[in-house]
Amino acid sequence: MAETLDKSTTANATGNQLTSSNNSNDNSKNDNMLEYPEILKRKGFVPKDLSRSTKNPGKTGLSTTRNLIRSYVNPSTLVNDVVDLIPGHDKSSEEPNFREVLGYYFFHSILFIMLFFFSFYRGVQYVGNRLKLRFLSIAYNPSKSPQIIRDDVLKLPKIPKRVSSVLSLKPDQDEGGGVEGLINDSSEITAWCVAAGIQYLSIYEYNGVLKQRVPELRRSIHKKLSQYFGVNYVPNFVVKVPCLNLTFNGVDDDFDVQSQGFNNKPVIEISLLSVRDGRSTIVDLTKTMADLAVKNELVVDDVTIDLVDKQLTNLVGVEPDLIILFSPNLDLQSYPPWHIRLSEIYWEPDNDEVNYSVFLRALQKYSTCKVNVGK
Amino acid sequence: MSLGSSWISTFPGYYQALEVLKSIVTSALKTGKIPQHVAFIMDGNRRFARKHHIEVKEGHNEGFNSLAEILDICYKCNVKAISIYAFSIENFKRSPFEVKNLMKLCERKFQQIIDHNDLCEKYGIKLIVSGDLSLLPDSLKNVLTNAQELTKNNSNAILNICIPYTSRDDITHSIRDINENNQNNKVIVSPQNYIDSIDEDCISKHLYTKDLPPLDILVRTSNIHRLSDFMLWETHLTGIYIQFLDILWPEFGAIRMIWIILKWSFIQYYNQYFKSI
Repeated sequence: MAETLDKSTTANATGNQLTSSNNSNDNSKNDNMLEYPEILKRKGFVPKDLSRSTKNPGKTGLSTTRNLIRSYVNPSTLVNDVVDLIPGHDKSSEEPNFREVLGYYFFHSILFIMLFFFSFYRGVQYVGNRLKLRFLSIAYNPSKSPQIIRDDVLKLPKIPKRVSSVLSLKPDQDEGGGVEGLINDSSEITAWCVAAGIQYLSIYEYNGVLKQRVPELRRSIHKKLSQYFGVNYVPNFVVKVPCLNLTFNGVDDDFDVQSQGFNNKPVIEISLLSVRDGRSTIVDLTKTMADLAVKNELVVDDVTIDLVDKQLTNLVGVEPDLIILFSPNLDLQSYPPWHIRLSEIYWEPDNDEVNYSVFLRALQKYSTCKVNVGK
Repeated sequence: MSLGSSWISTFPGYYQALEVLKSIVTSALKTGKIPQHVAFIMDGNRRFARKHHIEVKEGHNEGFNSLAEILDICYKCNVKAISIYAFSIENFKRSPFEVKNLMKLCERKFQQIIDHNDLCEKYGIKLIVSGDLSLLPDSLKNVLTNAQELTKNNSNAILNICIPYTSRDDITHSIRDINENNQNNKVIVSPQNYIDSIDEDCISKHLYTKDLPPLDILVRTSNIHRLSDFMLWETHLTGIYIQFLDILWPEFGAIRMIWIILKWSFIQYYNQYFKSI
């Protein structure tokens, strides 16, 4: 069966190779085993039971290699012309000949030599990045003083109005890991934002564990702010969970702001986002619109960017000016897609912790960039 | 290309050696993992023109040359689909003179593709145009529809031209389409069933990019760390390799592209062999 399949698709072997290499991605576990091309097998190079160990050889392993070989040998290349000159060589033969197999393995080994050297380069780069981060975190240390942060920020020509940070839940056994670590990191960022004068902060965490721990988060933020600003001058804050439409004011529900003798106006608004606020919210919106359209309360032509934008701003929040990723690589982790249109994205390569130096460098980068929509 | 201007290039046989090296590396890359879909934000043509004291028009021209080089190397490496951000809806805010020039340039280049058809024929490229075509001038619209018509039977590779495109417009367009379907579908399935069947896949299937394989790499030049309304729905997922380069688009060449593909395939092999254990 595999034979006929292959015959019909030789014409676009390139396309075929792509789909089959996709297959091999899916079955990556099978792929860890060595694959033997058909030709080697027929000539008895491969022990019989090994060849049987791949579950459906026609579909995944062998045809992948064969197609790869075939696609590598482009009809226009010299190799094929030479092959054609060999007497007795049947041009219509579907089997890749030994020369082709050899060529494939030759180039495949070149690839692995390149990747081998690349891994050294990457190792050096990793060490370099870690050293740089280490140095920066020593150089920039807020030491729980808002004055230092203020001084750092006042040098910048502009600061973002809305900041979003992407955090990820680390395993419990790691240092600063688990939900407690996440809550601690969130409250730390809140304190930096208050000190820097940023009014809106959204914290994105893929699974939404923060949303389930709002009371602890509020207590932690209060504690952190009192460490930074002093027990008598704890600024007020608001925690929002947009997808449940909940708003929490201050540290406790019975928290009497007046008794603190301090201005009760909240200085920062923290909204908690998760994967729920991304694609699924857009899907929900589509469903609502479809429902309204059926009831003839909405005309299809009314569905415009402005309308969708207004609704999503209501449901999730306003697009942030700056997104800070505290992850080792640039990975948006399903962050709400509608809200990353013009946001400046900042991350520090190979950094895996929430660190003031990263926060400050993100603000510095933002202050130098200029947004010109389309122009 | 940055290497082309250095002193090494003055040696005899430099370019021939470079070509041989390039073809060896692409043959090697081809035997491994290759991205299915690469998207480009071509940014920095005007800054390039300003830097080199040439006209803006010339800058865009240089950008097109650089694009041709990139397309060539990508298709040689067996990349299935390439998306390019040719023109954003927001770009209509630029000076009318520049918009007119850009439109003319696009028209001329696509007319060339239709007339000679060599690039498309060589790699079997199917052209797809994503975006709200009704915003374009008629002559360009005709050229684009012709080009699509002419190449619709090719199946080896896809070139997706986003003109005039923004991702928000794309998502809105998808929502509108779903609504329209809903109204037309009343007889076949009950509206409630249809509404219940709406999910993420349904929105993806109504986007302009529905015929393309899932995105693997997004490249943006000129050191701006923003997506600028391009492929938001596709890029925000984990596992998309986003590259922000600190060079201008006309300076971006084949060697840089090979480097990006090598880095990407290193990550893929690394994840396969080390993360799965």
